[in-house]
Amino acid sequence: MRRGSFQARLLTLMVCALVLLVAATLTAVHVAGNRNLRHTLTDELGVGARVLNRILAARGRQLTDAARVGAADFAFREAIASADRPTITSALTNLGARVDGDAVFLLSLDGSVDADTLGGQFVGRPFFVPSLVAGSQAGAAIVTFDHRPFQLVVVPVLAPQPIAWVCIGFKIDEAVLEDVRRLTALELSLWAADPAAPPLLISTLPQEKRLALGERTADKVAIAETVRLGSDTYQTMLQPIETGDGSAINVLLQRSLEEARGPLRRLELQIFALSSVALLLAIVAAIFFARGVTSPLRRLAEAAQRIGSGDYSALVGVPHDDEIGQLAAAFNRMGTEISAREEQIRHQGSHDSLTGLPNRRLFLDHLATWIASAKRRGTLVGMVMMDLDRFKEINDTLGHSLGDDLLVEMGRRLRQTIRESDTVARLGGDEFAVMFESAAAANAVEIAQRLGRALEAPFTLGGVSIDVKASMGIALYPLHAEDAGTLMKRADIAMYQAKRNHNAYALYESGRDEHSLRRLAIISELRQAVASEALELHFQPKIDIATERAIHAEALVRWRHPVHGMLPPDEFIPLAEQAGDIGIITKWVLKRAIEDCAGWNRAGFDLGVAVNLSALDIYDAGLPALIGALLHDQGLQPSKLVLEITESAVMRDAAYALRILRDVKGRGITLAIDDFGTGYSSLAHLKRLPVDELKIDKSFVVNLSEETLDDGVIVRSTIDLGHNMGLKVVAEGLESSEGFGILKRFGCDMAQGYFISHPIPSPQLLDWMDKSPWGARPGASLST
Amino acid sequence: MRPLAVFVMLAAARPGAAATTLLVEVRDDKGAAVPNAVVYAVPRARRPPPPSRRAVLDQKNRMFVPHILPIQTGTAVTFPNSDNVRHQVYSFSPAKRFQLPLYAGTPQGPVVFDKPGVVTLGCNIHDQMSAYIVVVDTPYFALTAGGPAELPGLPEGTYDVRVWYEGMRNEPLPQPVSLGAHEQQSLTFRIGKK
Repeated sequence: MRRGSFQARLLTLMVCALVLLVAATLTAVHVAGNRNLRHTLTDELGVGARVLNRILAARGRQLTDAARVGAADFAFREAIASADRPTITSALTNLGARVDGDAVFLLSLDGSVDADTLGGQFVGRPFFVPSLVAGSQAGAAIVTFDHRPFQLVVVPVLAPQPIAWVCIGFKIDEAVLEDVRRLTALELSLWAADPAAPPLLISTLPQEKRLALGERTADKVAIAETVRLGSDTYQTMLQPIETGDGSAINVLLQRSLEEARGPLRRLELQIFALSSVALLLAIVAAIFFARGVTSPLRRLAEAAQRIGSGDYSALVGVPHDDEIGQLAAAFNRMGTEISAREEQIRHQGSHDSLTGLPNRRLFLDHLATWIASAKRRGTLVGMVMMDLDRFKEINDTLGHSLGDDLLVEMGRRLRQTIRESDTVARLGGDEFAVMFESAAAANAVEIAQRLGRALEAPFTLGGVSIDVKASMGIALYPLHAEDAGTLMKRADIAMYQAKRNHNAYALYESGRDEHSLRRLAIISELRQAVASEALELHFQPKIDIATERAIHAEALVRWRHPVHGMLPPDEFIPLAEQAGDIGIITKWVLKRAIEDCAGWNRAGFDLGVAVNLSALDIYDAGLPALIGALLHDQGLQPSKLVLEITESAVMRDAAYALRILRDVKGRGITLAIDDFGTGYSSLAHLKRLPVDELKIDKSFVVNLSEETLDDGVIVRSTIDLGHNMGLKVVAEGLESSEGFGILKRFGCDMAQGYFISHPIPSPQLLDWMDKSPWGARPGASLST
Repeated sequence: MRPLAVFVMLAAARPGAAATTLLVEVRDDKGAAVPNAVVYAVPRARRPPPPSRRAVLDQKNRMFVPHILPIQTGTAVTFPNSDNVRHQVYSFSPAKRFQLPLYAGTPQGPVVFDKPGVVTLGCNIHDQMSAYIVVVDTPYFALTAGGPAELPGLPEGTYDVRVWYEGMRNEPLPQPVSLGAHEQQSLTFRIGKK
């Protein structure tokens, strides 16, 4: 039983209360008993004194009667009448022997001693207790005789008129006191206070105590009410005895306090014993009662702990219909409800609310479990991670509600494609993952293909039929990773690989991870690079096909990385976009490009500069003002600046982007659509954009030749489209003179590519302008 | 009464002597007459005549009757027992010690009281029985009753008149009296508290 528990406190309370009660009772009994004892003892001693007096008086009467009978004997009277002294003395002796007297006297009627049994020593002398023979009646008295208490009786000798007195003396001895002691349970001590001699103590006390008392009486020490004799303490009462001769005889009545306290002590012991029994019973009762209360409580506490640790299975037995029973029932209800709610929360925590599929966390858990079991069994675990290409665009175009419907439908299709034992999860956004047991990598690829096919059928959402394409990354345990987290990361890397390569799926290749790590490192170093001028600009000239002279140079950023060397923008711009650092780079590029361009113009070259804007940049409302300020600072005409944006960048929030673009356009800056033909193209959309130029993606231009008619058709129709919309058309990626010829024939306005020049730093650009046939020397254009 | 009559006649017939009557009164300190007191006159000159008769002390109803019996020295007294229980009569008095062992009816012989004095009688069976025989050396005695006792027929001469009563501690002084012929005299004893 723990300290502080209910049971312990109840026990303590009861025991304390009982102990206090017992202590109070015992104290009260003890105090009252002792007080009572004093009174009782005083009373007892008083009674003892009266009993002693009664017994002495009765003894006196009894002895008187005996003496009277003895003195009435005819022969005795005859002897007394004989007047012969020896005869008389012998008759007295005989009488004394008959009545057990200690001394016998014959007294004449006038009160003098005629004869005695003490050798005649009193003969002729007056009797020493004259009062006894003053009348004519028999009498008795207590006197001091021979230094000790005597009881004397005097009777007349009748013939038949009194002719003499006979007096018989009886010693008062222990036997008399013993009688009183038997009646009263008191100890008695009697002595004659004879001033002449040490008192002879007659007592019922045992020898040793009698001696102790004797010392006190001999010293005439006043005897206190409470006297200690030997090992006992006595309550005493000193009583003088009425004597016939005026001598002082004292009786000391004594009561042993030990003995007198005996019954009280027995009572106290009985109370103590009864109390102890009651205490024991109370403890037992308290334990039972407390157990009756605490054991259900303890069970409830255990149940609460079980519930706390998540075990809702065991219900508490409901013992009684009392408060505890109600509590137990409430506990059970609570357990059930908590269990249900926890199940719901757990489901919510582990499942995606939209599709009802497991979420990332649960997927990771399952994956870890599967890997653990695969590790034991030596099998493979495969996973596919996928996301939809351009889901954002779909969402933006069709609205979130239909976007959600698409995700739900997609989840359903994935679920239907795989086996029941496999897992499909929605990791977030448009990202899904599938986990399966796989015999080999080929098997995993097959599954990925099956998944891809499942998404091939168009999705019909809100009456609109939509094609979607997903990129999938495949990774397998134990080929690519030893644990679930790594496996997911690698599937993710593979997915990006697929996306980058515009493939439906990609299997993770070892070493990709290092590449990925490098990307991460680069992101963190990029900001540093901007600040420390580790970036530099290269410029690729863009020529006017008609004049065959350079009119713009596209600024392309390079990063001179201390470890990896010169990095092209493809390597870090997407990373900067992901990290949200693209604005810094854009501003740096704009500033530097405008400065350089201003420099060229001051140097006499009539050359504009083109700068690529990221998708994020055109949502920066401060950008137009910034550009305006830069142009103003450098004194550069706005028409010398071309800003290139991708079509898809505008599509994200077309209305907002349009406002920004119109602002830019309003400042006299030229706008160009970059990488035209690779993304979704909406002509209606395009028409509203305030652009001046269209740049055909280099993938269409690079292989442009007389043989490859397909690309040629695209390029030509694009050029026609642009012209029809009133735009100038630029071809990127021109690498051959053949291509140049074709473009010229198609009526393309401008061209850019290795055929003309690689991107080169600003100083070399001026040099190129001087020396290249495309170069526009200062004033040369005028001369042409 | 017959013997007394005889006695009176004898006294009256005595030659040469004239008889006188003496009245003796006994009073206590309050002046009340004391009954049952024995008064007697002892002649100084002549010896009194010897006793001429017997006396009887009866026992009736566990009592001696009479309670006080004055007699002249030398008188024989018989102790008849008129009760149906036996008595044992005794005396430890110095004037006459005797005892009559348990008897019924009349004992064998009378007891002669030959010394003057008071003899206290008791019965050894019945402690409450007591009687006094007052033995005097004169034939002239009498018991007082409600008034003075009468001592008749006293010859001329001088007498010492004495008194005895039950419970007497000290005898009152004898009163001498001289009597002439045919003379009637009276005297009074005053006694202290009984």
